[in-house]
Amino acid sequence: MKDYHGLIFAYYTDPKLRELVSMRTAASLPFCGRYRLIDFSLSAMRNAGIVDVGVIMQRDYQSLLDHLGGGKAWDMARRTGGLRMLPPFGLPEYHRGNYAGTMEALIAVSSYIKDVQAKYFVLMLGDMCANIDLTLPMEQHRKSGAPITAICTDRADAAGFRMTYIPGEDGYAKQLLVDTVDEKEGVLSLEAYIINKETLLELIETSHAQSLHRFHKDTLDKWLKEGGKMDIYVHHGYTALVRTAESFYKANMDMLDPDIRHELFPAERPVFTKIREEVSTYYSSDSYSRNSLVADNCIIEGSIENCIVFSGARIRKGAKLKDCIVMSDCIVETGCVLDHCIIDKDVSFSAGTVLTGNEKLPLIVPKGSHI
Amino acid sequence: MKKKLIAMLLAGGQGSRLYALTQSEAKPSVPFGGKYRIIDFPLSNCANSGIDTVGVMTQYRPLKLNSYIGSGQPWDLDVNDGGVYILPPYQSAGEKGSWFSGTANAIYQNLAFVENYNPDAVVILSGDHIYKMDYADMLRDHLEHNAACTISVLTVTLEEATRFGMMNLGEDGYIKEFEEKPKHPKSTLASMGIYVFDWQKLRKYLIQDEADPNSRHDFGHNIIPAMIADGEKIWPYRFQGYWRDVGTIDSLWEANMDMLTPHLIDLYDPEWPISARSPICPPHQVGSHAEINHSIVTEGCEIDGIVTNSVLSPSVKIGVGANIEYSVLMPGVVVEAGASVKYAIIGENSVVHAGAVVGASPAPGQQKSITTIGPDIEIPAGSTVKVGAMISSSEEV
Repeated sequence: MKDYHGLIFAYYTDPKLRELVSMRTAASLPFCGRYRLIDFSLSAMRNAGIVDVGVIMQRDYQSLLDHLGGGKAWDMARRTGGLRMLPPFGLPEYHRGNYAGTMEALIAVSSYIKDVQAKYFVLMLGDMCANIDLTLPMEQHRKSGAPITAICTDRADAAGFRMTYIPGEDGYAKQLLVDTVDEKEGVLSLEAYIINKETLLELIETSHAQSLHRFHKDTLDKWLKEGGKMDIYVHHGYTALVRTAESFYKANMDMLDPDIRHELFPAERPVFTKIREEVSTYYSSDSYSRNSLVADNCIIEGSIENCIVFSGARIRKGAKLKDCIVMSDCIVETGCVLDHCIIDKDVSFSAGTVLTGNEKLPLIVPKGSHI
Repeated sequence: MKKKLIAMLLAGGQGSRLYALTQSEAKPSVPFGGKYRIIDFPLSNCANSGIDTVGVMTQYRPLKLNSYIGSGQPWDLDVNDGGVYILPPYQSAGEKGSWFSGTANAIYQNLAFVENYNPDAVVILSGDHIYKMDYADMLRDHLEHNAACTISVLTVTLEEATRFGMMNLGEDGYIKEFEEKPKHPKSTLASMGIYVFDWQKLRKYLIQDEADPNSRHDFGHNIIPAMIADGEKIWPYRFQGYWRDVGTIDSLWEANMDMLTPHLIDLYDPEWPISARSPICPPHQVGSHAEINHSIVTEGCEIDGIVTNSVLSPSVKIGVGANIEYSVLMPGVVVEAGASVKYAIIGENSVVHAGAVVGASPAPGQQKSITTIGPDIEIPAGSTVKVGAMISSSEEV
């Protein structure tokens, strides 16, 4: 029997991500030229030896399913166990809308949780951007004996946090501040937990009986108030929760800083992702490129500066891109000038297109547009 | 499980002319063209041609090659009723095992493997060629001409012909004579070392050849001439397109440079992808001081110097003010600030420390001379490596 089982929440998508999530869930948002956000939680689990993982999804999950495949990229295509997709199933009528909260999502998959033969569950968000060495909180959880360990951070590199834990003198969580971000008084919750199986089932049962659907506001707050023990593990590396178009833009642009990038992609804990085609990127003699991250299979003939370019891009001679995120398979014809744009997948710009956004309000060009 | 066509890939060569690069690995696993290793080309061609069973015969330092090929998954060759198999020499009960003594002997020693699939035909491939080719089309040509053997041929000039195995045709268009590196070539059709054989015919000739103590057990020297002598039908399959043998430092360098010219060989064609097993690294970074011109760069690289006319493999780091020209940098190479690398091939994970000079551009009117640094070598700061040198250990610097 394996001790740990992973659960990733990939059902929640904040509407503040605007057009970026019209066709996908937040967990499958493209990141840093080749990744999807869910790669971080999947890789963290894989690197800690957790390869039995359920992904809770609810809607618009086609792009997520396409990315996950059979779980091969994370060594989760296993004969027994491995990656399991958990879309809604067998739910009573009143549960068929959007999940009102994480607890409702857990209630929806409670039969799955019951069947899992593991002592502990690791719960993580699919849209978290951090490279967490889970072996550390796992070790801490075993030693402390607290039924719940909350994974928190003392860094808030991009907005999106919603919960703060105030530690008591003994180091255990004393108080939960819901919908409050207070990094001076406490530590910010990554909404990730290690929790004993029987505790998780108890919480689910109680919440279900009382129709309480919000994991933090109802369940965990009550747990602490009733004297339940919760340990806190603090992650010190780069952390972002991508919940708005602006934080999506910022988190991507943060990757241009080599120190941050090395922190998020250390050699000893690689971030795994689905592999696309295998061909290098070509820079022509006419190209100009500065301070940019460029994925494979691009042809750069124009000019890029402060850009994140995903695979398959064709930047033609004379095109100029500055401070842009260019997702997969975009074509930018000659003479285009693009500034502060988030260009979604499969977009093509005909010659001479000029578009300008700004840092606070990056211009989003929706997937598949022809301009 | 009966198959129409399976492939046997000869990957046992030592690659002695690439000495510094092949000390610790077989030639087919030498990095090539940014993302690839040489063997990716024949393996991808197999997958793209619909061949799902490939035997890879290895004997020289096969460790890296074996782990590179693994289950064959990067080439979609991990299938239920076939796949890619590493075939090292082995011992049989009661017999003395032996190394593969020649190309034909390598297949002979693996007769049992081929028999498993009882194929109609076998295509024999080499692990040191860079090209894209549809073996299914070659098989069609082979069957149409009712041939016992079909040899893939290229048209070369008469001067080049002296370096190749040349095919002389009869009036009926079939091959009547095979001349290895002729002084006075009679034709311009050069063998590419790629053969399709009718399996039953090949089997017979392999067994016959094995019994001949004077044979070199080589396809070009023994099997094909024996078949010609017996009047078997041997058809030339005319290949058009890019093909390079990368057995020497110069040809390896030149073929790498060819990858910068998409009309020679289009690696971006989604219809004929060349696949590779590569580590997953973040996209490459072009730094604030970088200048990249007419070059290919791949994942994991961090470039802050000047890169011109060069081929960079994954995770290459180039420091500020370093100057890379007409060079091939293999995976993990580090070139520190202010160093200069020109007309050079640098092996995996070698480090050119700050200010060192490796190779130089040829003087006007002079022949180029490629400087080669093997893998895991440190070139000390400020030192100069002689133009055209081949460095295979750090002590030589």
